[in-house]
Amino acid sequence: MTYRTQFDSELDNLKLNLIKMSDLVIRNIHDALHSFLEMNTELAERIIKDDQLVNDFEYAIEKECMRIILREQPVAKDLRLITAVLKMITDLERIGDHAADISKLTVFMEKTSKPLKAKYTPLMVDVCEEMIRLALDSFVNRDTRMAHEVIEKDDLVDEYFIEIKNQVASAIRETRIDADYAIYLMMVAKYIERIGDHAVNLAEWVIFSITGEHE
Amino acid sequence: MENAFTINQLNLKYGEKKALDQITMDIPKNQITALIGPSGCGKSTLLRTLNRMNDLIDNVRIDGDIRYEEQDIFAKEYDVINLRTKVGMVFQKPNPFPMSIFDNIAYGPRCQGIKDRKVLQEIVERSLINAALYDEVKDRLKESAKELSGGQQQRLCIARAIAMEPDVILMDEPTSALDPIATAKIEDLILELKKKYTIVIVTHNMQQAARISDNTAFLLMGELIEYDKTDIIFSNPKETKTEEYITGRFG
Repeated sequence: MTYRTQFDSELDNLKLNLIKMSDLVIRNIHDALHSFLEMNTELAERIIKDDQLVNDFEYAIEKECMRIILREQPVAKDLRLITAVLKMITDLERIGDHAADISKLTVFMEKTSKPLKAKYTPLMVDVCEEMIRLALDSFVNRDTRMAHEVIEKDDLVDEYFIEIKNQVASAIRETRIDADYAIYLMMVAKYIERIGDHAVNLAEWVIFSITGEHE
Repeated sequence: MENAFTINQLNLKYGEKKALDQITMDIPKNQITALIGPSGCGKSTLLRTLNRMNDLIDNVRIDGDIRYEEQDIFAKEYDVINLRTKVGMVFQKPNPFPMSIFDNIAYGPRCQGIKDRKVLQEIVERSLINAALYDEVKDRLKESAKELSGGQQQRLCIARAIAMEPDVILMDEPTSALDPIATAKIEDLILELKKKYTIVIVTHNMQQAARISDNTAFLLMGELIEYDKTDIIFSNPKETKTEEYITGRFG
């Protein structure tokens, strides 16, 4: 016989809200990159506005965690789960910030006539989206193998970053790119690279929630 | 790390009913060791075995080994009176004797033959100070102990145990009959007592075990399921049964 069905449903609800938050964040980083590459300021402004929704999620989940700690006094795996959620929402919120950061560059950037076709930026974002999704799946399924996969994938993000840097550098040398645009593009790449790092953090907290070990 | 007790392959039966099953564990000196588990798991039985209080119950059969200060406490020539002097006990419900506060504490030393009023006075004062009760009762030592509040009575019982100059204090759910404030006072006292004494405490209050103990043993149906540092038991226990019990999902 198991007890604490109310508590268990509260924990399930917490996981559900975390997934909703991550879905929103994934959509924002995806759209943010497209707003930049397509110089779509309208889309960029929507993302900047939507970042408030990400912040609201963080606040609501944090409040719910505090309430559960207060009322249920969780221990062992329950305590680790709630600790992990509290840490993960911080990383998700930062990822959301970076989506907004990229969108702000789109808004401020002068339209360029010589956009660089940097094929590695969308690939980089694809990997980051996949990493966040995998991290959340590994959390819900309590699967450390999947979480380790997330950590490994970050190497690919770093490799793409170096490729973009090399591409931009040679475009500058060959004057195929506007100076301002080159700087903005590198900033975008750096933001995406940071998103990868935050996804790694997510996976590390998932592993902690399952094993009690934080790497 | 020195041990007060080493318990090896301890079995205990009440008639045909097995209450403790192959218990092996060490109880380190000057630490607080908590015994937790559902009702009937054997934790109080284990506690009472440490100063051979189970000898007083009919039909008890014990085999295995308990060493206190490296001496076999079940050996024929072992001095049980001395064991119970060195290993004091505090029970769930405060049980002051129906006599004055002073006489409650002086009772044990008097039984040991101490008659000198001045010596007794010193013992009573020292015990009350160590039990964090002195300031509250110093002007009414001649009043009946039954006049004290529940929390004060429990601290009196601790003072009474301390008066015998024990090395170990066994506590069987010492705060379960007390309100939160009296409980907090006893918990502070237990942490203070750890400097001088080894403490073994049975508790149903898991937050209490997590707050005050250094080591926690989880028992279930007479078996020692898991025994480890308290921080580990409450953050990352190794056994599923422990996890289920402390998270309240099974019991």
